[in-house]
Amino acid sequence: MDRLEDLASSLETLAFHGFQTPTVGNGEKESPAIEILRIKEQMSNQCFEMIVKLQSGESKRSCSASDAEKDLPDYVNTLEEAEITHFNKTLALHRMQVWHVISEKLKQRDPEAEAMRKLTNHSLDLCLKIKTLQQESFELQDQITALQKQRLDLKRLTHEKMKEMEELKTKGEHPVAEEYRNVLQKAQSYLEKYQKMVAIEQNVLRGIIIASKVNWREDPKLREIAMTLEDITIPDD
Amino acid sequence: MSLLKPFSKLPELNTANILLVENEEQFQQILAETIVLLKKNVNVNVRLARSLPLPIENEKFRPRIDLVVFIINLTSELSYQSAEVSLKFLDPDYFLGKVCFLVTNARNASVPPERLISVRKLVASLHCPLLFAEDQMTDGVNTAAHRLLAILKVTSGHVPMATGLYLSSLTRCTVPSDIDQQNFD
Repeated sequence: MDRLEDLASSLETLAFHGFQTPTVGNGEKESPAIEILRIKEQMSNQCFEMIVKLQSGESKRSCSASDAEKDLPDYVNTLEEAEITHFNKTLALHRMQVWHVISEKLKQRDPEAEAMRKLTNHSLDLCLKIKTLQQESFELQDQITALQKQRLDLKRLTHEKMKEMEELKTKGEHPVAEEYRNVLQKAQSYLEKYQKMVAIEQNVLRGIIIASKVNWREDPKLREIAMTLEDITIPDD
Repeated sequence: MSLLKPFSKLPELNTANILLVENEEQFQQILAETIVLLKKNVNVNVRLARSLPLPIENEKFRPRIDLVVFIINLTSELSYQSAEVSLKFLDPDYFLGKVCFLVTNARNASVPPERLISVRKLVASLHCPLLFAEDQMTDGVNTAAHRLLAILKVTSGHVPMATGLYLSSLTRCTVPSDIDQQNFD
């Protein structure tokens, strides 16, 4: 009775695996059910090979080796794509199976189910937090970009203002400088005239003092005046 | 012409037969012993030969060969030539995944690089896998034995969803287009 039960349970696990032999490590003891299944798969594999050989023998079309070489990558690609789709579908199937088992489990009232429920709730909370944090970071990012735009605008404006200022400087120099120069020239000519007059008057005074043979060194006031007369020179322009 | 044909005999249950062809018979022996000693769930029979064609007297008793391995020692030109000659006595059906090439002494400095290049070109033209093995150390022999056992399992049908042809189309030797200009300095 036990043996039958063991056999039945092992067959059940095999059926769950989709009737593919679970790979046993090399040299380990196999249960007879698995061994029979393995041998059966071996035989089907060999029969498949022989069928392929027979089929290839039937349709013998004469083609050159280079033609075959050209077709080969296409066939290999189709093979690979078939493998990949098969693998993806098996993965999807396993995913569905796992989800089904989990949802069934969650509905029960085990301590394991309790732990699972706590875990799912915790992960849901974390996800909510993540969402809010992401929202905040997005908003901050938007603010940063708005500020950067403003800064860029200000920079641009300052550049324009600087350019305007420079233009004005180079242009506006001219009309103001014209008048300034005129006034300056006039003032300079007046200054020269008066300087000449002063020089002439001082020369005359010097002549008078020398001719009158006054001892100007003794009188302090006269001495002062005479000293200033020495320094004068006629400006030569 | 006594060709060795892959499908001329019926396969046996839970058995795999491998044929090692080597001209010098030094590596075959060690490799055969290692393969037999590996832990596996399949009965593996290892047959040794120096070259093909195999003697006709044993034709009746010989089981169906699942994998033919040509062992080429790169340090001797004779090994390569004898392997080339033996290829003619193999049925073309074998080359769809039931033939494998094993090369030893590829790291030896006295080997002219042209020999390896010509071996690669030959193997690539036959669309077969090319393995390299280290025959001086037990680790190398073990590794080679494991790899051959893996390929043997596939070609004898013990791996579901895989056949020798599929495996060889994935692992076959290819020759890069600039192999003649390759410089191993």
